[in-house]
Amino acid sequence: MGIPTTPQITVTGERPSRLSRLLKPFAFMSLPTAVLAVLFLIPMGILVYFSFQYGDLTGQSGFTLSNFTDTLTDPLYREIALATFEIATIAMVAQLIVGIPLAYVLAYKAGRFELPLLLALVLADELNPMVRIYAWRMLLGREGLINDALTSLGLINAPIDALLFNKFSVIVVLSTSYLTYTVIPIYASMKAVDSGLFEAAKDMGAGWFTTFRRVLLPLIAPGIFIALLLVYVPLFTDFAAPSLVGGTSGIMLGNVVADMVLQNGNLNMGAAMSFLMLLAAALFSLLAYQLSRVKGGAK
Amino acid sequence: MITLSSLTKQFGDATAVDAIDLEIADGEFFSMLGPSGCGKTTTLRMIAGFEEPTSGRIELAGEDVTWTSPRRRNVNMVFQNYALFPHMNVRENVEFGLRIKKLGKAEAKERIERMVAAVRMEGFEDRHPAQLSGGQQQRVALARALVNQPAALLLDEPLGALDLKLRKEMQLELKSIQQQTGTTFVYVTHDQEEALTMSDRVAVMNGGKVEQAADPRTLYQRPDSAFVADFIGTSNLMTIPTGQRAGEDIRIALPAASPNGEVTITVRPEKIKVVASEPADGSYARGTVLENVYLGSMTQLIVEIRSGERLIVHQLNDEDGREPLAPGAAVILAWSAEHSYVIPEKGPQ
Ligand SMILES: Nc1ncnc2c1ncn2[C@@H]1O[C@H](COP(=O)(O)OP(=O)(O)O)[C@@H](O)[C@H]1O
Ligand SMILES: [Mg+2]
Repeated sequence: MGIPTTPQITVTGERPSRLSRLLKPFAFMSLPTAVLAVLFLIPMGILVYFSFQYGDLTGQSGFTLSNFTDTLTDPLYREIALATFEIATIAMVAQLIVGIPLAYVLAYKAGRFELPLLLALVLADELNPMVRIYAWRMLLGREGLINDALTSLGLINAPIDALLFNKFSVIVVLSTSYLTYTVIPIYASMKAVDSGLFEAAKDMGAGWFTTFRRVLLPLIAPGIFIALLLVYVPLFTDFAAPSLVGGTSGIMLGNVVADMVLQNGNLNMGAAMSFLMLLAAALFSLLAYQLSRVKGGAK
Repeated sequence: MITLSSLTKQFGDATAVDAIDLEIADGEFFSMLGPSGCGKTTTLRMIAGFEEPTSGRIELAGEDVTWTSPRRRNVNMVFQNYALFPHMNVRENVEFGLRIKKLGKAEAKERIERMVAAVRMEGFEDRHPAQLSGGQQQRVALARALVNQPAALLLDEPLGALDLKLRKEMQLELKSIQQQTGTTFVYVTHDQEEALTMSDRVAVMNGGKVEQAADPRTLYQRPDSAFVADFIGTSNLMTIPTGQRAGEDIRIALPAASPNGEVTITVRPEKIKVVASEPADGSYARGTVLENVYLGSMTQLIVEIRSGERLIVHQLNDEDGREPLAPGAAVILAWSAEHSYVIPEKGPQ
């Protein structure tokens, strides 16, 4: 078994040359940089290139800004963008509200159930997304389990339609789909926090909320930041959930892009939209990073 | 005043603390001393409120707090690993309790400054715990607790993580801070020297019970049990059958009013003298030197007496040129009657 080694530049007993010392750090970086270039920069470049092109049925093509101006000025898109922002944000907040206590239980309270629960959480994510979404349709639908249960218990007379094919069902499906990715980084950051700190806070008179806000939250802010990066961006661009349970009111930007490319065949417009979404996501990430630094205190 | 009445804590079948009765006076430096696992931490955590007693009562200043939340008890704890908040600097750590009490800005500032000065941490207010040495972190933990002006400060082996030299320094400092503030200290340690040098009174614990609670002098001179005699300082424990009180090679004279029959006595090593001939009164024993160990200010002899027991003798090195007794030398050991301390029979308490 040969482990490939980098060729040795230095001759034994001789001080490495100034140049090779200068270049050494970059040698370590060259492989990851190359991978990033192939996987990220080249597709990005193609995306940006297409977003500034037009092509019509007569076969003419060239440079244009109209893809961007059209997208940004269309009131329908603006409305969907707002709805997307609303859905993604509510789903993210819902996941944090459920995920932080869940991570807390896993990290400090689960005892010997810690590993089994962690595994269950990871396995839940392994479920095929389509299966998961259809399962939710069976739960939330007119003849779904929830409506059946409520009707047979006599709590309602007619099935509730408001459970499926709207923003609500999209939020429910999205929240449950990404929960694993919200919980794991927060759980990991909690494992590094000594639970003796909570006792110290309590000893000085702090209640659970003060302890959470002033002790735990600042210390797990980096984990929350990772969760936001990992989850909010894919939430923002998701199109499977809205297209299967969103109906007409639960449409998100991901659907618009997919339709633009797959139905209308307008790759340029789709690229421009994607580019704008990426920009928004990048801005959001920066904001989240700043927030986590403020919360965590400049170290 | 802190009063514990038949305080008991069981973890499953195991009894960690077994019907403890203690009274700790205001302003007292009170230590709980005992080997690892004897229930010191559990007792302290029950006083703080972090552990619920299985039975018994805890009173603080005459008020029953057995079931009161730790938040509402006027005591503060110094944790063994300090438990400083890593994301806050020294000032913010010390301020924590005062902000919860919603103390006025000016008064809080003044109290923090005074406390930071008392633990000699001026100039370090903006540092984070990671930028402080172990001893400094210890001082901050102390300030963070004391700034709340608790009726009692509970300390669980607070010097356990420090090296010997720093330990000695901090012992003196803790004692002086305790005297300055007049706060009751309840101090847990397994180090008998630490307990003896710092405390007004010490409770010696063993197997979840308090063997004896007394001032250091009493513990040393009049131990209530063989365990206390053995745990505090070095002691020569001997079980004396009635016959040995007047024998050929050994004669044990007991203090007046000692019980008849078999007794257990303890003799401190520094009370035993090496003499030239059998004394007219008091105790003596003939024996052979097994070992001599030079300890600087004194020499420790281990002497096997004719009855087979080994006695430890401390000889002060206060005369120049005295030859140490070589192993194999025959000696006569002597001590007066009152230095044979008879350990009281342990009856039901
Ligand atoms: N949370 C717990 N669960 C079960 N047993 C415990 C717990 N805490 C302490 N014990 C047991 O109680 C006994 C006393 O422990 P502790 O009070 O920590 O002793 P010390 O502080 O004197 O070393 C020990 O035998 C210990 O194993
Ligand atoms: Mg302990």
